[in-house]
Amino acid sequence: MSKLIDEVKDSRRKYDVGSWIVPIIAVVTAMLVASVLMMAQGLDPMLAYKSLFTTAFGSSEGIAATLGKATPLVLSGLAVTLGLRAGLFNIGVQGQLLTGALASAWAGYALTNLPPLVHIALALAFGFFFGAIVGAIAGYLKAFRGVHEVITTIMLNSIVMGIVDYLASNPFKEPDQALTRTPQILDSVRLPMFGNFPSGFFLAAALAFLMWWILGFTTTGFRFNTVGRNRFAAWYAGISYKKTIFFAMLFSGGIAGLGGAVETLGITYRFEPAFNLGLGFDGITIALLGRVHPVGIIPGAILIGGMRAGAANMQFDAGVAPELVDLLLAMILFFVTAPLISRFFKNSSNRSLTGGWGN
Amino acid sequence: MITLIKRRGSYYFLAVTLATLYLYSQSANITTSVFSIAVTFAMPLALAAMVGIMCERTGIVNIGIEGTLLLSSFVAFYVAIAAKSIVIGFLVAMATGVAMSLLLALMSVTWKMDQIIAGTILNILATGLTSFFYIQGNMLPNMFRQKPIPGLSNLPFFGDVLFKHGLLMYIGFVVIITLYYGLFHTPWGLRTRAVGEHPSSADTAGVSVSRMRYVNVAIAGAIGGLCGSYLVLELVGSWNRGFTAGKGFTALALMIFGRWNPMGALAAAMFFGLAQAGANQLMINGTVNIPPQFVGILPYVMTIIVLAISAGKVRPPAAEGQPYEKGQS
Amino acid sequence: MFKKFKKIAAATAAAGLLGLALSACSTAEKAATEADCGTEKAFCIGVVTDLGKVDDKSFNQAAWEGALAGAESTGGFAKYVETTDSKDYAKNIALFGDKGYNVIVTVGFLMAEATVAAAAKYPDVKFVGVDQFNGTDAANVTGLIFDEDRAGFLAGYLAGNLTKSDKIGGVLGMKEVPPVRKFGEGYEAGIAYAAKELGKTIKSSVIYHAAGDTAFNDPAWGASTASQLLGQGFDVIFGAGGNTGNGAITKVAQTAGAFCIGVDIDQWNTVPEAQPCLVTSAEKKLVKGVTDLVIAAKDGTIAAGNFVGQVGLSDYHDLASSVSQEIQDKVSAITEKIISGELATGVKP
Repeated sequence: MSKLIDEVKDSRRKYDVGSWIVPIIAVVTAMLVASVLMMAQGLDPMLAYKSLFTTAFGSSEGIAATLGKATPLVLSGLAVTLGLRAGLFNIGVQGQLLTGALASAWAGYALTNLPPLVHIALALAFGFFFGAIVGAIAGYLKAFRGVHEVITTIMLNSIVMGIVDYLASNPFKEPDQALTRTPQILDSVRLPMFGNFPSGFFLAAALAFLMWWILGFTTTGFRFNTVGRNRFAAWYAGISYKKTIFFAMLFSGGIAGLGGAVETLGITYRFEPAFNLGLGFDGITIALLGRVHPVGIIPGAILIGGMRAGAANMQFDAGVAPELVDLLLAMILFFVTAPLISRFFKNSSNRSLTGGWGN
Repeated sequence: MITLIKRRGSYYFLAVTLATLYLYSQSANITTSVFSIAVTFAMPLALAAMVGIMCERTGIVNIGIEGTLLLSSFVAFYVAIAAKSIVIGFLVAMATGVAMSLLLALMSVTWKMDQIIAGTILNILATGLTSFFYIQGNMLPNMFRQKPIPGLSNLPFFGDVLFKHGLLMYIGFVVIITLYYGLFHTPWGLRTRAVGEHPSSADTAGVSVSRMRYVNVAIAGAIGGLCGSYLVLELVGSWNRGFTAGKGFTALALMIFGRWNPMGALAAAMFFGLAQAGANQLMINGTVNIPPQFVGILPYVMTIIVLAISAGKVRPPAAEGQPYEKGQS
Repeated sequence: MFKKFKKIAAATAAAGLLGLALSACSTAEKAATEADCGTEKAFCIGVVTDLGKVDDKSFNQAAWEGALAGAESTGGFAKYVETTDSKDYAKNIALFGDKGYNVIVTVGFLMAEATVAAAAKYPDVKFVGVDQFNGTDAANVTGLIFDEDRAGFLAGYLAGNLTKSDKIGGVLGMKEVPPVRKFGEGYEAGIAYAAKELGKTIKSSVIYHAAGDTAFNDPAWGASTASQLLGQGFDVIFGAGGNTGNGAITKVAQTAGAFCIGVDIDQWNTVPEAQPCLVTSAEKKLVKGVTDLVIAAKDGTIAAGNFVGQVGLSDYHDLASSVSQEIQDKVSAITEKIISGELATGVKP
């Protein structure tokens, strides 16, 4: 038993954010490599980066836009993180997020005569609840039927995409409108702004810290981590593997759904299928960039959000295709995780954050 | 356990055969057409699943299949154009697949990095590279065209379904069958599976774990290159951004569905292809008026239902996802 | 590795002037220069694409070519920004608005609201909304719209006259996208009209992609679905759905004796793989529409509201010999009737 606790303590240390130096060096190296590519195309990398980063971080409007982009990324990153901690690879964040976005949009326009705060809370709860249902399907099938979550979440992504599309183009469609989209949500249910900044971001960040506390300092977190580390150790410790798996998937889906809800209530104000493309998959990148640490994903989300926010300006000012951002992301992830750099600065090897498909 | 799977498998086989015979008796032409299209839907998915199987059987998780397909199809297209030869395009695409695989092996075997991260890197690297360097307005000099196999293609039903395709499709079948035979009936297969299940025992028995992993992952990459080439040089004939449209992820599901067995994955891919071709047929016949979204999700719903009813426990190779260090138990 | 890419780039850019213009730079070198934008000296045109790129072989590309042609004839300067996230429309339009561009072309019906909102913010800028019906009274917004059902009808009518097996198919993108639906329904109406005229029964099957984020970007699905139709004796196939449709017509090109019909722009040049079967394209004259509106904006003759662009069938190109003179004449006659409105397609807008 004491050995088990040691192991879990050890795991906690392993998941620490770690040295700040490694990610910074990774970003700089990636930018250097990308500038070679840009120069080879006859473009000016200095101009491109200047444009990219002054747009993203150079003004309060820019920072607001960056945080707006980062908000759903923090939540989808958290959803992936929670799954990974319990040994589950939730590729279905995209579908759960879409479900939450549509559910909260419906709550936002169809429910009326509610006090604003109650309405906002209810709409967020809708997003969480329906995202959680999608997650729970995968969780149930994994825990009680032994169907691998990677299959079910990939399948559920496609299924959700079809259903959501059907709903937004039929029963939930804005009347007299050719587009596939829902009506706009009521003004009173929009998430308020803190000055220039979207309050959704602070909500997401608070949730990240809450998750850090839960995973690191509570028995619930201990359960998740133990199941994620070693299913048999969990059994010895009297932890129900099935229940833990089920709830991990449920909450992971719920957080993803909340990500969709925050996006709907804070940024888009309605549901349209194209609005949420790629957010779930960026969540995987961010969770890995943040080394599967709930708080570690916040800077990762801000960085990616900033690059996505500044990409169009970079094309406008320097003629660089916005796809450069994807290239940068790949290289940053590569350099962050490549032991060449991290071994140099710290003593730990960072193997196996996730450890394969199953236990 | 194995007999159980085999027995269950034979029930499915029987059910599918009976259903096919019934449909065939109703409308031979359409049944044949649906099956032969199902094969074209299934082959890229099956080959992509082979990439996964080769890697995972040897202990490496590869979620970078999508990236491998995307980059190798891109290279196949542009090299075939630049060299004015689809054969050269195909060969260089295989080399590209191998290069992607070696990068994966470098990260996960030599550097002992997290394998899910390594695969994710392959995916976004391929997305970034291909969309950044894509230039439109090019045309392939030629394509791998339909070449019916003399004799066999005259068989009723099977002739049309299996033996009226292009060269790469035939290579695909050969690869899958060879892989099945190799994995389960040769010393190499035994060693591969040992490395994937219990690397320390394999090591004790004198098998070099790293070398085995490098070689197998490289072979997987070559299969990925074949798959990318099939898509661009035989099936479609042009390339665009996001060309592979998520096939590499669907393949992961099929690999697990097929229990890490090449034949199982082929059957799963065929099931998927049949569902897609069948859904199309519903629209062609126009007999049912259901929203296209529901037709589209049909194969996915069926997959989940089938798995929920019958899957039981699927067990991946035991050492998968873990780097091997000597002296580790 | 990079050297290889460059070599390919050099080899392929020569393939077409267009490729050259696109690969060289995102800006066009014209009489006016970028630095002059916002001053009296220069007439500047900005293009904001929908999700997608200016080399999409479809409407984004056509809008950009139109802007380039407009810049050429007005001695102006043109530049584009590609949208990567549909939440960024307003921000991307503002890039041009803040720099004092004279005309901003926004592409795609999804951008309609963002365009009208930006028009209020930049009252001195003329906005051209491609595929956007403008139902507002904004004085500086002109929607460039097309009757896709008419183009689809003509394609269907031609198909009905060309078919020998009396089976005609279509492989389309998402039905929820209004222009796609109008193309598809117009196509079926045209087939029905031809069948009635010829006094025979023609089976028409239009297959829509089952939605999802890859509806317009799934050429493998398009190709396999086209094969399925071909295998069951369908001998004319209409491909309308971005890369999905392009995959379908490219597949048809490999079958002797079958015809395919392209969409949006004359795909003879943009999808050369399809040339063996490409009898025509159900075309919206996007390039011409954008060019005309840009020139009108320069002259000050542009009118707010909506501008209905021309639709029709593209040239038969090399397949003209496969279309008998009799059919060509019949199609011309019907084209006149459809364009003048004498013959209605019966498709609801």
